[in-house]
Amino acid sequence: MTDHVIRLAVNDKQIEATVPARLTLADFLRDRLGLTGTHLGCEHGVCGACTVLVDERSVRACITLAVQVDGCSITTVEGLTGPLADRLRAAFSRRHGLQCGFCTPGFLVTATEMIQNDSRPKPLTADYVRETLSGNTCRCTGYQGIVQAVLDAEAHDHITG
Amino acid sequence: MTLIGTSVPRREDERLLAGKGSFLADQAQGAYHVMFVRSDIAHGELRHIDVSAAQDMPGVVGVFTADQLGLRDNYIAPLHEPHPEFVAATAFAMADQRLALMADRRVHYVGQIVAAVVASDRYLAEDAAELVNVGYAALPVVVEMEDALDADAPVLHEQLSSNEAASLSYTFGDPDSARAQAAVTVAETYRIGRHGAVPLECRGVLTRIDHRTGEVDVWTSTQIPHMVRRGICAATGWTTDAVRVHVPDVGGGFGTKANVYPEEVLVPLLARLTGRDVVWVEDRHEHLTAAAQGRDQVHRCVLSVDADGRILALEDDFLVNIGAGSLWVAGIIANTAIHILGPYRVPAARVSGKGIFTNKAIVAQYRGAGRPEASFVLERSLDAAARRLGLTNVEIRRRNLLTAQDMPYPQPLPYRDGVPIVYDGGDYRACLDAALELLPTSVVAQEQAAHPELLIGHGVGCYLEATGRGPYEAAKISVTPQGRIEVMTGAASAGQGHETSFAQVAAQSLGLPMEAVRVLPTDTGSLAHGIGSFGSRSAVLAGNAIAQTAALLVDNGRRRFAQATGADLAEVGYREGIFQAPGRDPVGWRELAQLGAPGKALEGEPPLYAASMYRCDTVTWTMGAHATVVGVHPGTGIVRVLRYAVAHEGGVEINPLVVEGQVLGGVAQGVGGTLYEEFRYGADGSPRSTTFAEYGLPGSNEVPEVLIRHLGVPTDNPLGVRGAGESGTIAVAAAVAAAIDAATGCTHVTATPIAPRTIKTALEAT
Repeated sequence: MTDHVIRLAVNDKQIEATVPARLTLADFLRDRLGLTGTHLGCEHGVCGACTVLVDERSVRACITLAVQVDGCSITTVEGLTGPLADRLRAAFSRRHGLQCGFCTPGFLVTATEMIQNDSRPKPLTADYVRETLSGNTCRCTGYQGIVQAVLDAEAHDHITG
Repeated sequence: MTLIGTSVPRREDERLLAGKGSFLADQAQGAYHVMFVRSDIAHGELRHIDVSAAQDMPGVVGVFTADQLGLRDNYIAPLHEPHPEFVAATAFAMADQRLALMADRRVHYVGQIVAAVVASDRYLAEDAAELVNVGYAALPVVVEMEDALDADAPVLHEQLSSNEAASLSYTFGDPDSARAQAAVTVAETYRIGRHGAVPLECRGVLTRIDHRTGEVDVWTSTQIPHMVRRGICAATGWTTDAVRVHVPDVGGGFGTKANVYPEEVLVPLLARLTGRDVVWVEDRHEHLTAAAQGRDQVHRCVLSVDADGRILALEDDFLVNIGAGSLWVAGIIANTAIHILGPYRVPAARVSGKGIFTNKAIVAQYRGAGRPEASFVLERSLDAAARRLGLTNVEIRRRNLLTAQDMPYPQPLPYRDGVPIVYDGGDYRACLDAALELLPTSVVAQEQAAHPELLIGHGVGCYLEATGRGPYEAAKISVTPQGRIEVMTGAASAGQGHETSFAQVAAQSLGLPMEAVRVLPTDTGSLAHGIGSFGSRSAVLAGNAIAQTAALLVDNGRRRFAQATGADLAEVGYREGIFQAPGRDPVGWRELAQLGAPGKALEGEPPLYAASMYRCDTVTWTMGAHATVVGVHPGTGIVRVLRYAVAHEGGVEINPLVVEGQVLGGVAQGVGGTLYEEFRYGADGSPRSTTFAEYGLPGSNEVPEVLIRHLGVPTDNPLGVRGAGESGTIAVAAAVAAAIDAATGCTHVTATPIAPRTIKTALEAT
């Protein structure tokens, strides 16, 4: 097994690590860095629970190798901070957009990318939110609270520009 | 204080939204990893297992086969059996199930454990597991129930004489003469496909050894920690004080985690055998292969009605495919047989059912556990009768649903707990009307205008759900030295918000603000007994246990106050956190708790606490009605659920937000099982739905917005609560199937999941 040295930023912190080629980004984040908010729901890129931002784009950490993100900037759920993150979290709670909470980190990351994307419809529509979230699976909520939460969080963003 | 009935924001949310939940896999740091070697054939004899190559791999500390385990019993002890009264009334019989925890002579399904590798990390454990060489002599495979019952079928379990796992039957009234007098009799075979809970978090078990005492601490992603402890102790011979089962944050359960699994026995055992902390984190392929599945029933139903559509007799004969085994077979067939009567006046019935062994994966109680199947069969039969009579689906139900005049409504049958069934509802017909107010048939025209490319149809489905089954749940409430109130129950949470809703009950019962109360995760070392969270029982059983225990805690507090102050106990009052008596300084919980500290009035007294078990006589019944509008694409047969509404007769809602969430999530799972989800098997018993690409969970585009109306109907327990955890799921298949039939005008859906190709074929034939 060949080891590789990678340098990357995780949640704005510079990191250098030696990793085997086959180590997934998800396992790197969880096991090496202790960032266990990135969850593994299927390990084959379908459920979206492991979604993280790599250079501001959403990526499935379960089917990405740690060596592939050498030189990149990673944001995990733990690194979602600021007014938008605060609004999203508050809206998820208010709208009951989570029950067991296992899928939640992935939804928060996907929703963040959606709202930060300037090409989104303004204001957001429920249909667009549903379409954009369709790569994330929730087994508890029926999505209703999640969709409402994203609309709530973005409405403020849209109004304040 | 009105905490009960208030949508208090959930306490769980902050940590879960921060990514700081503490799920099983999140606690695995430092533990060695277990990888199970599982059978890749569905039925066969084990000939040899060669572990030598695996044992020599780097990082491997042990490879174990069944003969090295030293188990007392290589199977899981039965979890439950029905009450003798129910057994007598239904001629209930159940086979002795002894499915091997780790196969020693024979394998019965793909995914059954045959060996275990323990290694220093997951990657190395997987490498080594691939090198374990297992030789089998294949045996004939049985996949379908009809084949399992064939006279020539191989008997799958050595200790048994047939493939029948359980059976029951009952008759009341005179179904034969009712059928002879009927204006219309509809007979049909219905199939409910095999699908299941499939929580987003797979299973997982962690064991850490206390080397000072030799005791083991087990964390497992379960709904029933006390039953897990019992299963571990029964199989290993360990005493209950040598094992402490803890519940981490659980990422969904829905019944599949209300089971006791081989892995829950084997991981603690492997920890003892290797002397190391070990963890097993299930991956999705394992989960879709080896975790307990659900449904998989076939019914032959005959419904007889008079010329007005009134039910004269219901006759149903059903089979449940429990695969290699089910520790819950008694519950599943009993639930099915009881709930087939539905919320209607049924003067005569003949019902029989059997659980059947095959070589599919094991089965547990999945959300509804017999209720959705029963609802589908009965509701579809009503729709068929309505069509024959020229009645609407709504009208035939309105003529048969029980009303306020019928309540309380007795059935000539005991429930599983042996107590005669009495429906304690309000007005079931009014509940259907409420669902139709939310989603009237006039919506069809609106949706037709919005979706001219689709065929639009409206459907309804009703259900009745026995909730809050006993016999008991335990609660313990302790006061910390700082005066904080800590609550623990046997009803472990799997995402239902117990930390919040149970705190509401405790706080209100004690007259305290929410901040004074904390609900602790269940662990069997702190709470000696418990049953668990399943079957819509937690609010009813654990909720009332908390209220009852809170009253005992106040009594204990009054006694301690009297003891410390010399006050007459009869004069000690308690109100909103303050104890007082004439001539004495009032004290709160904190001061009271600190009286046991060194130098204080009650030096050396143990911390204040109270514990009790709430027992209920029998279940309480939740009725509901679902209405839906679907769109069917005529070219493809693909179904979209466009609109959805649920009205239900719940009781007092402890936290309306949480109850609504249960209904919404239940509908989503119902939609999945109705349209998308199925565990498919090849003729050789090989599972074909082993990834999320093949097992289709409904996504955000497939699940509709759901309108909910809660019709609060009082019930006879101290909190007045009814269960609601399964209400959203049960009638979905019935309502969606009816809507599809209305849309196409040429189908009578009799099987789930409803395949687009079936609809397309029917449309093309017209």
